[in-house]
Amino acid sequence: MAPLLEASDVHVSYPVGGMFSGRRAVKAVNGVSLQIERGSVLGIVGESGCGKSTLSRLLIGLEQPTSGSVWVDGAPIAQMTRLARARRIQPVFQDPYSSLNPRRSIEATIRQPLDVHGIGTSRERIAAVREMMDLVGLAQRHANSYPSQLSGGQRQRVAIARALVIRPELLVCDEPTSALDVSVQSQILNLLQDLRAEFNLTYVLISHDLAIVEHIATRVAVMYTGKIVEEGETSAVFSNPLHPYSRALLSAVLTPEPGLGIPETRLRGSFPNPMDLPPGCTFHPRCPESMPICMENAPCLQNIDGKSVSCHLYAEQRSSVESPRKQLG
Amino acid sequence: MSTLLTIEDLSVDLPVPAGVLRAVRGISIEVSRGEMLAIVGESGCGKSLTSLAIMGLLPKGATRLAAKLDFAGIDLAVIPDRKMADIRGERIGMIFQEPMTALNPCFTVGSQLEEVLVRHRGASRKQARDRAIELLEIVGITPAAQRLSQFPHQLSGGLRQRVMIAMALMCEPELLICDEPTTALDVTVQSEILSLINRLRRDLNMAVILITHDLGVVARAADRLAVMYAGQIVESGTVRDVFATPLHPYTQGLLACIPVPGRTAPGERLGSIPGVVPSIIGEARGCSFRNRCSLAFPACGEADIPSMPASHGGDFRCLLDERDLAHRVAAVGGSH
Repeated sequence: MAPLLEASDVHVSYPVGGMFSGRRAVKAVNGVSLQIERGSVLGIVGESGCGKSTLSRLLIGLEQPTSGSVWVDGAPIAQMTRLARARRIQPVFQDPYSSLNPRRSIEATIRQPLDVHGIGTSRERIAAVREMMDLVGLAQRHANSYPSQLSGGQRQRVAIARALVIRPELLVCDEPTSALDVSVQSQILNLLQDLRAEFNLTYVLISHDLAIVEHIATRVAVMYTGKIVEEGETSAVFSNPLHPYSRALLSAVLTPEPGLGIPETRLRGSFPNPMDLPPGCTFHPRCPESMPICMENAPCLQNIDGKSVSCHLYAEQRSSVESPRKQLG
Repeated sequence: MSTLLTIEDLSVDLPVPAGVLRAVRGISIEVSRGEMLAIVGESGCGKSLTSLAIMGLLPKGATRLAAKLDFAGIDLAVIPDRKMADIRGERIGMIFQEPMTALNPCFTVGSQLEEVLVRHRGASRKQARDRAIELLEIVGITPAAQRLSQFPHQLSGGLRQRVMIAMALMCEPELLICDEPTTALDVTVQSEILSLINRLRRDLNMAVILITHDLGVVARAADRLAVMYAGQIVESGTVRDVFATPLHPYTQGLLACIPVPGRTAPGERLGSIPGVVPSIIGEARGCSFRNRCSLAFPACGEADIPSMPASHGGDFRCLLDERDLAHRVAAVGGSH
């Protein structure tokens, strides 16, 4: 069976400048291939500007790739109509304050996808909305409320109910809990977990909070400058990250364990300018383990221990017996 | 360690359309030189207003009441505004959450940094410039001389936050107040900024008040913490003690909400606190957490809850016995 969603070598670049300077292209997504199996949760992690949000927009179909293509169930997403796409893939955005229409009641907000897709009679739609409100933990008395009368956590529940009311297969959540307080965040994470079991959903979870990704995702992809540098099972990536960038990123996570102090990341410099990416491996100027070859050739994704890694450190490993530098970090 | 800042019974009231919002209700804290105290809480708990009250920067209309507001022997509650302006920036530095709004977009980084020394020390521009370059290098911005002529919008978020830190440190303050200093930053930059603050704390024997909602940051960076809820400190103590044995049901709930690798299994249900943080408008009686607390009983609503000393040296604001509360953590492994 084809994977639920598949991207093959997709690129997205935006033209910038023009008036006074020459037109140049920002490569937001720079050759990403991935497969999302049914029932899995793919976590996409990386720092701001790494292209994870552009990639999510691409997967929802809000963005067209400059080259490459995205397939849903083996069919190209570019040839699907907006409605057909929306039936199967729904987004949940970061900010529940701006993603809801302030002039539309909660019931009307959740019902809208049913109206748009012409599902059921008016009576059935109301029943579906009521059922959905129960499922996401919204009291029925909020049906006629407006978003401004709800708390952040309740609004995010409305956004999730609206996304799920037409029973999509894939939910693309872009930072679903970062605008929420700690005690509310865990409620939404629990809800996402429950709904996943209830509706047999597949998630793409984009988050800068690695603890959340580790908690929820079944697979994780680490992005840097528009590319996936490492991808694999969550437990495998978190317990033994191979790419030097994954290692730095994961070592910088501040888990709530007193006494461990603040980790040293060993990264030099800062995130590169996306308009002027370094040649070769784009990570080499910051990499604590860079080699001469890194400045010249961009590494390709290769399979190591069941993970895909894009790094020259592991290039020899396929042929040589010794595993160079694998124990570092 | 000598005590640098002593606050006793600080309250802040804010007029709102519905009445008087009691944003901060009688908090007491002490900070020693070289120490980092974290004030933790969710949005609306009054943690940022506490820091603004110390700095004398409360919004118009807000009223501040305190039994004691002592900074190195100076009574901040009574000194005139002009004197406070001398202390602010020179002896107490502040780092705000959003460096883009805290820096003036119309002036170069250099002129904003130099102004601090010119204003407080009467330094010449040349002296101020040398000091600005020195500080940018300390906070890891290179090439420093070149950055001085740049405007804030030309810098990344991490660099802007470093400029804010450099600015707060121009006069080597004795106390640094950081309000969510790393919330807008990526994890790798967050670690760098926090280790920078910690290094400077050691080198200058500077006291730091860190205001944050991020329990990971608190656990790794701070010495002591105070947990705020609805304008009150509900629990305080050393980071080690409070994380090991949280006593107040709110602290226990908060710690159970976050996944901890190795303690919470992947996909396991996280703890949660039903309901939302209340805003205390007008008179309030009893424990403000009782409506969300699974252990609440009628007495919780009857009178104000006194702060009780805990056996580990901190204190907590709950009517229940310390042993029963501690036992509760042990019984559920601290994760639910």
